[in-house]
Amino acid sequence: MKISLKWLNDYVDIKNIPVEEIVEKLTYAGLEVEEVIDNSKVYDNIVVGYVEEKSKHPNADKLSVCKVNDGKEVLNVVCGAPNVEAGQKIVFAKVGSVIPENGLELKKVKLRGEVSHGMICSEKELSLSDNHEGIMILPDDAEIGIPLVEYLEIDDVVLDIAVTPNRQDALSHIGVARDLAALFDRDLKLPEIKLNEVDETADSIAEVIIENTVDCPRYSAKLIKDVEIKESPEWLKKKLTSIGARPINNIVDITNFVLHEIGQPLHAFDLDKLSHNKIVVKSADEGDSFTTLDSKERKMKGTDLMICDGEKPVAVAGVMGGENSEVTSTTKNILLESAFFRPSAIRKTAKHLGLSTDASYRFERGTDPEITIWAANRAAQLMVELGNGKLFKGTIDQYPQEVEFPVLELRYERIEKILGYSIQNDTVKNILLRLGFGIVDENESGVKVQVPSYRRDVEREIDLIEEIARIYGYDKIPVIDSIQISLDENMNQMEFVENLKNKFIAFGFNEIVTNSLWNYDRSSKFGNPVRILNPQNNDMTHLRTSMIPGLLKTISNNIKVQEKNLMLFETGHIFISKTQNDIKSFDDFEEKEVLSFTLTGNKFSKEWYNSSEQKFDLFDAKGIITDFLVYNFSLEPDEILFEKGTVSNFEYYFDVKHKKDRLGEGGEIKKEFLELYDIEQKVYVFTFEVDKLKSLAKVEKRFKPLLKFPKVLRDFAFIVDSNISAGEIEKVILEKSSKLLKNIKLFDIFESKSIGEGKKSLAFELEYFDVSRTLTEEEVDKDFWSVIELIKKQFNAELRGKVG
Amino acid sequence: MEDKIKSLLKNFPSELDQITDKNSLENFRIKYFGRKGIIAELFEDFKKLSGDEKPKYGKRLNEIKNDLQTKFDGKKLSVESEIETTVETIDFSLPGRKYGQGTKHILSQTMNEIMDVFIKIGFSVYEGPELESDYYNFEALNFPEDHPARDMQDTFFLSKDFVLRTHTSPVQIRLMENKKPPIRAIMPGKVYRNEAISFKSYCLFHQVEGLVVDKNITFAELKGTLVYFLKEFLGKDVKYRFRASFFPFTEPSAEVDIWWQPEGKEGRWLEILGCGMVDPNVLKNVGIDPEVYTGYAFGIGVERNALRKYDIDDIRTFFDNDKRFLVQF
Repeated sequence: MKISLKWLNDYVDIKNIPVEEIVEKLTYAGLEVEEVIDNSKVYDNIVVGYVEEKSKHPNADKLSVCKVNDGKEVLNVVCGAPNVEAGQKIVFAKVGSVIPENGLELKKVKLRGEVSHGMICSEKELSLSDNHEGIMILPDDAEIGIPLVEYLEIDDVVLDIAVTPNRQDALSHIGVARDLAALFDRDLKLPEIKLNEVDETADSIAEVIIENTVDCPRYSAKLIKDVEIKESPEWLKKKLTSIGARPINNIVDITNFVLHEIGQPLHAFDLDKLSHNKIVVKSADEGDSFTTLDSKERKMKGTDLMICDGEKPVAVAGVMGGENSEVTSTTKNILLESAFFRPSAIRKTAKHLGLSTDASYRFERGTDPEITIWAANRAAQLMVELGNGKLFKGTIDQYPQEVEFPVLELRYERIEKILGYSIQNDTVKNILLRLGFGIVDENESGVKVQVPSYRRDVEREIDLIEEIARIYGYDKIPVIDSIQISLDENMNQMEFVENLKNKFIAFGFNEIVTNSLWNYDRSSKFGNPVRILNPQNNDMTHLRTSMIPGLLKTISNNIKVQEKNLMLFETGHIFISKTQNDIKSFDDFEEKEVLSFTLTGNKFSKEWYNSSEQKFDLFDAKGIITDFLVYNFSLEPDEILFEKGTVSNFEYYFDVKHKKDRLGEGGEIKKEFLELYDIEQKVYVFTFEVDKLKSLAKVEKRFKPLLKFPKVLRDFAFIVDSNISAGEIEKVILEKSSKLLKNIKLFDIFESKSIGEGKKSLAFELEYFDVSRTLTEEEVDKDFWSVIELIKKQFNAELRGKVG
Repeated sequence: MEDKIKSLLKNFPSELDQITDKNSLENFRIKYFGRKGIIAELFEDFKKLSGDEKPKYGKRLNEIKNDLQTKFDGKKLSVESEIETTVETIDFSLPGRKYGQGTKHILSQTMNEIMDVFIKIGFSVYEGPELESDYYNFEALNFPEDHPARDMQDTFFLSKDFVLRTHTSPVQIRLMENKKPPIRAIMPGKVYRNEAISFKSYCLFHQVEGLVVDKNITFAELKGTLVYFLKEFLGKDVKYRFRASFFPFTEPSAEVDIWWQPEGKEGRWLEILGCGMVDPNVLKNVGIDPEVYTGYAFGIGVERNALRKYDIDDIRTFFDNDKRFLVQF
């Protein structure tokens, strides 16, 4: 919202306060000034100049060289405008000024050999209008050398203020002036209204009927006849343009002016276009179409409030007038509407029409029901003054149920209890009075406060305390230097996942954070996704059911920038819908936290120390999973079960289990699925459920005594048929050995014609020890050889090479 | 005695021959020339000999010792010079073998930094769901139905009554429903806003919510605690301002700006967090008597702080996860 400081001065004297101080105080008090537009800075170094001489440019037909007097000196200026002549008063931008239209700083330049010390400007270059037909020529009486802003009386500072939704009272110049009056402890001056009425009364001419009194608690109207529709006077046009409003004609400008002055939206109807001189406020008929002022046809809903005449709708209440009743150049008689509408009704209508106007913006935030007559009188007075109209006596005012405003109790000790510092009672009272609150009663412990009608946001004691705090100044809140903390339990629900993250980072993974929103195609591959009713676009219509789309998208993005070798992980929430309908309760979906990691590309790339690259494969994933569980959850490797499964989207898929609990799942992603993401390399993905890991972590770690006796190792290699798995052989070794065998390590797999077609060599190392004694070679040998013999028989295996 | 000398003369040269590095040279020295070494042992034995045997061995032992010492010194020289030659032949210009390191996402790091400040002064950490009911996200937080305040947060709706949470504040309600005061907690997490994705906004971001409820909690304590946070997080010279603002669930409310002036750029106020005293209606909604207890709450944006701190100009960079970006932090 734009607020002109010059305009503000009509209501509170702030002339002698520096702009910076006004900006700072308003901002502290909750009217955040987002931008300060200071015209004297915008038009700095732009002055009234006088063209003393004009001659043709020696080297350019369309240019002329002028001698311009800027009040201090006479300067050489090259000008391209055809209408420049000696003897003119013009607008001269000196070297160092910035052209408002394009922000370019003027420098001394040579134009085709002639030096130019500035520029003679057009209205467009000065951002004063769209007129670019030659330079702007000023009247002869303009004083040479005075700044343009002074000459045009536009030496104003305009503030762009962000008003929070609770401060509907501040959506006008008087509203802001009221805060300033409190902040600087000055008087607020409201304009005086003197009405010059004819004898004929308004209610003898027209009639107002409110059918829907819920959505329209009050409707006030004034009638003005014989108005002249014409351009507004300069002062009014300047006020409107200073805040970026476009002047239209005196009647429309007056309603706009009053809106920005007091915050009450007004609407002027052409009385002669209202059939039966009647206003009826009622709900629209569902499906009716109505053409608004902007010539657009709108489909109305039954919940929309309409202003109708004796026959038809003439305006969408609180939002926009109708084309059928608008004021035009031929309008003579006016019905001026000044009403109060139920905020949420206007909000609904503005929303479904997709139409936000200055009026709807204010009505939906809540206007002051008690100001309708004041605002109507103010506008009527101006219509008489500026349009030579004749005002009918009185106001047609329908206000069936008066809105009441609370009287609140404010306890001084409560102020201190909330704020933590004390404010003098007199200061408290003064702030309230300056803001327009009434003090109905008081004693030593507090005051009873009448809330003014424009402060509909103030309903409770706490709201009063906020008013006092913000006007007193948040900068005055003391910064305390100690706090008291209770020795209650301290909880950290994030710590567990934070630790998991650190473990994966220790493996060398990069953590990523991806979008949770995907299209149906992507999100539905891993579960029934939850749908968003109002998605932003077609790529983000559903919630993720898995981290996999995020991982794959990230891989895909990285491959595009030649980062093909990736170890990535992400923790986050996934969402599975349990219903085919809309979510109605927390039982209709499952939200769970997971940790997913992915491996793709090279584990080792080609380097001076690596003659060939090595790609990640399934066993890297398996190894990371095993080590992650062994190191962090005190599991033994053989307690972790990898069970092969089949799932679409995966080439290989496996579950990881501990005892009967499934901890997670993953595998190699299917080629066809990767193609959706333009990925051509193999990708391994694995997902842990955080809750499963949490229950695993409940087992407390215990120290396992370190082995004090030597281990005995035995190596051997078998040649077996290729289809026999290492795991099968390991299983037999484990089963058939004595308790002395503690570990088996497969350390070599070898296939070659030299050992025969369809054969492979598997080399194992067996580790024997006992925690309580040193083993003898003999007892190990006995155990070892019996197993060897068994394997030879059972797998038709051939013992190969040296055994030892 | 004679046997020992024989075996010494036999083993010494062959063992010396095999030495190629400093370590084994030192072990060798200890074995033969050490205080309890083989040669010292021989001299011990010599002392125990009878008077007539002594002259026979005395001179001989000394000669042997000198001879072996010379041989050892020679070897020592050659071993040491050999090592030097090897060092000279290494090509130090070869790059080291790559190890690399994992990295934590900069948003996680920033969130951790914010959280740590509060954890150090006794705040607990709680989490809550991202898919929330209208009750927790709006109603319990004193957002009246059909009020412009709901427009402050462009909401993704999943149904009439369920939304993607637009802030971490619903966790406040969940916490207060389950725990009576004193409460001193932060609640970090992802939140969603239905805003067009651009360089300055994304459909989701991260917040760290704070909530303190107890007897005698005041606006001054809120300011003191947050000023402490600003100084810890941004440095003790941070320039800040508290200005009045509006949130439905706090009253009075404030927003905190810091003065931000990147090198070579114009300085400006940058909003960094929102806060306020917990609105009495919110306390009532969870059955806490606002006459007895008061509280404050705050919400700190993570992305906003990371953008500023690292001078990143496009919020989408965080969610692109380009490895070249990830490894920078």
